[in-house]
Amino acid sequence: MFDIGFVRTEVWHALSVHFPVALLFFSTLTMFTSFVIKSDSKQSWRSAASGLLYAGTIAAWISIYTGNLADGIVSRKICDPTILKDHEIAAQTMTYLFTGAVVLNLILMFEALKSRLRLILSFAILLLMMVGSSYLVYTGHMGASLVYQQGAGVYKHSVDCDEYK
Amino acid sequence: MKPYKIIVTALAFFVLTSCGEKTDVVESGVYQGIVHEVEADKSEIYVKTDDGKLLELYFTETTTLTKDGQTVSFNELAEGKKVEVEVKKEGKRLDPVSVKILE
Repeated sequence: MFDIGFVRTEVWHALSVHFPVALLFFSTLTMFTSFVIKSDSKQSWRSAASGLLYAGTIAAWISIYTGNLADGIVSRKICDPTILKDHEIAAQTMTYLFTGAVVLNLILMFEALKSRLRLILSFAILLLMMVGSSYLVYTGHMGASLVYQQGAGVYKHSVDCDEYK
Repeated sequence: MKPYKIIVTALAFFVLTSCGEKTDVVESGVYQGIVHEVEADKSEIYVKTDDGKLLELYFTETTTLTKDGQTVSFNELAEGKKVEVEVKKEGKRLDPVSVKILE
């Protein structure tokens, strides 16, 4: 049965953080594919990448918010909060990079843009997304280290598991 | 300057400047410094010590906060105030034992 006690404040971050990881990673892959593919489906790949980028960036900002909530709780329990700080800084940088890509992607919607500027903006978006994805991997690695090495946000049951009887 | 160079320079500048500030870990002891930032909702303060270290301190249930020898509320802390903090290092975590507001 679903236990409402499971949904502690710090757990909201774990519940929300996997959406931007998947969405933004696949948005970058899809955007890259739209650049290298030669077929007529180029625009479809581009549209899919844009959709994933918008959804992923919104999810990233939600994760920043839930991460901030979790920070105040787990920082008092873990042994090395410097890892948490690195995780936080990398997450913010990653989110700003993808937000920059969103802004440029929206600018691309203006039909009046010259083709040369359109091309430059397209490459800038891809570059932002690729650098952002590097930060995404680093942020995820730090987050995994916090959970699996330091038990951040993990419930520690009693030695005899008495609460499960 | 060519457009792609502008983009790469802007990106490098952005990545280097958009990052938050890294904090330092020090040994257990007493340090004086200036309150750099207060996050009241987390009962957290950042203290810039006299030797330039930035300490991130999360108040615990046992942390004492005083001014002129009297216990004061967390609201008394504000950016720019001079403080003396006693910290206990647990792993790489700094637990504030006491915080004295000096001015």
